[in-house]
Amino acid sequence: MRILLVEDDAEAAAYVAKGLREAGHVVDHALDGEAGLNMANSGGYDAFVIDRMLPKMDGLSLLSKRRDDGDETPALFLSALGEVDDRVSGLKAGGDDYLVKPYAFSELLARIEALGRRRAQPTGVTTRFQVADLELDVLTRTVRRAETKIDLQPREFRLLEYLMRHAGQVVTRTMLLENVWEYHFDPQTNVIDVHISRLRAKIDKDFDKPLLKTIRGAGYRLSEEP
Amino acid sequence: MLRILRTTSFRFTIIYVVLFAGAMAALGAYLYSATFGEAAKQTDTVIDSEISVLADLFSTSGSGMLTRVIRQRVAWSDDAIYMLIGAPSGAVLAGNLTALPPEALTGEGDFFNFKFEKPLVDAAGREVGIQQREARGKMMRFRAAPDAEQSYLVVVARDVAGREFLRSRSQSVVTRAALVTIAFGVVIGLMFSRSFLRRVEVVNKTTRAIRGGDLSQRIPTTGSGDELDDLGKNLNSMLDQIERLMAGMRDVSDNIAHDLRSPLTRIRNRLNSALEGSDDDKDIALRATIDDSDKVLATFNALLSIARIRSGEGAGVMEPIDIVAIAEEMAELYEPAAQDSGFEFTFITAPTPAIKGSRELVSQAIANFLDNALKYAEGGSHIELRVEPSKAGGAILSVSDDGPGIKEEDRNRVFERFVRLEQSRTTPGSGLGLSLVSAIARAHGATLELTDGLPQKNGDSFGLRIVMIFGPPE
Repeated sequence: MRILLVEDDAEAAAYVAKGLREAGHVVDHALDGEAGLNMANSGGYDAFVIDRMLPKMDGLSLLSKRRDDGDETPALFLSALGEVDDRVSGLKAGGDDYLVKPYAFSELLARIEALGRRRAQPTGVTTRFQVADLELDVLTRTVRRAETKIDLQPREFRLLEYLMRHAGQVVTRTMLLENVWEYHFDPQTNVIDVHISRLRAKIDKDFDKPLLKTIRGAGYRLSEEP
Repeated sequence: MLRILRTTSFRFTIIYVVLFAGAMAALGAYLYSATFGEAAKQTDTVIDSEISVLADLFSTSGSGMLTRVIRQRVAWSDDAIYMLIGAPSGAVLAGNLTALPPEALTGEGDFFNFKFEKPLVDAAGREVGIQQREARGKMMRFRAAPDAEQSYLVVVARDVAGREFLRSRSQSVVTRAALVTIAFGVVIGLMFSRSFLRRVEVVNKTTRAIRGGDLSQRIPTTGSGDELDDLGKNLNSMLDQIERLMAGMRDVSDNIAHDLRSPLTRIRNRLNSALEGSDDDKDIALRATIDDSDKVLATFNALLSIARIRSGEGAGVMEPIDIVAIAEEMAELYEPAAQDSGFEFTFITAPTPAIKGSRELVSQAIANFLDNALKYAEGGSHIELRVEPSKAGGAILSVSDDGPGIKEEDRNRVFERFVRLEQSRTTPGSGLGLSLVSAIARAHGATLELTDGLPQKNGDSFGLRIVMIFGPPE
């Protein structure tokens, strides 16, 4: 992916850019809002990563301007402001995701890749997902693996649906909590892990090839590859 | 003194005095025209009708009769004044005026006022002096025929000295009363203003002290319940809130110093000694440092959230929310984790009215209660989440466990930030969870209580029950 990173903290930006390049992405970096807008105007990016508070032009205005020009490049806001209102104003300005500082790099990487995926399948018309021999049908709300029907609780179904929409990608616990449960705080106990292990017991336990993997220090990935 | 003149109450008093004086003047003018004005008009009417009677008499019976009648009238009446002069001879034929008043010559047929002298008579009828009197009258010329050479001048007047005396007397009384009223009003205005200024000065003194840095100062209230008292009470509650916020800020900085400095020092020392160690040592030190900095970040986030919720900024939009549905979602989220940790989890609800709040914050509070129970209810086997209506029309949210509980004397300290009870020092966590809950409760106007929870397995004691009581939505 070609990513535009607009961040005024040069050291943090260098760290993020290095990590993204190691993960195989191309990164352009702007140090202030105006430079960021100029680079964004030139187009050709697959994702924007924008700090909310920037010199010369703040991140919200930058993205609003791009959105007014019809630019639909997925955008992720980085911000030290993490309360509900801040998040809402970020999403209103056209942001697709919002990550509160401080964050783990793995969290940022997972979210950027999720944004890229969102773009690859533009509208949510896909109603059937398949990973190896695991199938999920959103319309009939059924899950099968190797032709065996698997019964899931409603929340387990949503959890699996999210994992399948992001198959092959790392999905963090926070992403799951935000997208499957719609909470924006981190519980202190391993509640998500327990839900994942229950889901794993249903979709992986009785089959020889495990699909739902734990990525240490990052989250989970649903994929065929080991 | 100048300040008193500028006060609102003094201005109001002056406006009131001016309006009152205006009303008094209008009333006085009305009374004057209704009494003295009317009396003067009546005098004029009497004089006019007297003249017409005399004119009739003259045209029917002639000058002799006229002279006789005037003489009779002078003899009978006390305050009537007549004079009959023959013209062109100028002889005074009848009447009680000694000389024709000069004012009479200004015009025939017009009313005029004049002064005349009247002998002062004692009880025995002897003359004892002369007095000045005032009168009002009219002079007419009578002719037997339009071209007759002989004519008569008739003066008819009334003594108005008594009335004039009364009028000037009442005028001065009214003027004096008005002056006294105005002076009285001004004095009362000054007194009002002074007492008002004194009370405002108390407020000013307090605010000056507060500006000087003493946030504990409060405006003394009199308890009279008047508007100044109300103002004082409102200002005081505003000051309470500000003081709370300031205390919150101070707490945050104290806590940052306390809870972040030690791990940061630890990180620094570890990295320092790792510099001299082997590659393996460095590796271990780096991993431990990452873990430590994660903890520092978590603590920092929690502190910021608490500070923002306490300041009312981070609370977001307060709207009617279904607390049963929220608790149900949280139960669903936590039940597996509770079961995995060996607890039996029960969720009990009764139909409960909606409360005003933030879904995010209320679920965060429930998450904290449940995290807390999972972490501290060691040895327990049961966690219960309960939502029920309160008698006041609000909602009662509670989480109970049958773990070791908290001693009654320690319960109050639980909500203080960073206070972690001795016995749980070894359990991981920033110790900020319940402080965050306390901030959330305050943002919702809810109260928190710690009471006895579920009976412990061995039966002689109770676990902990944490209760959050929401008021009814306005």
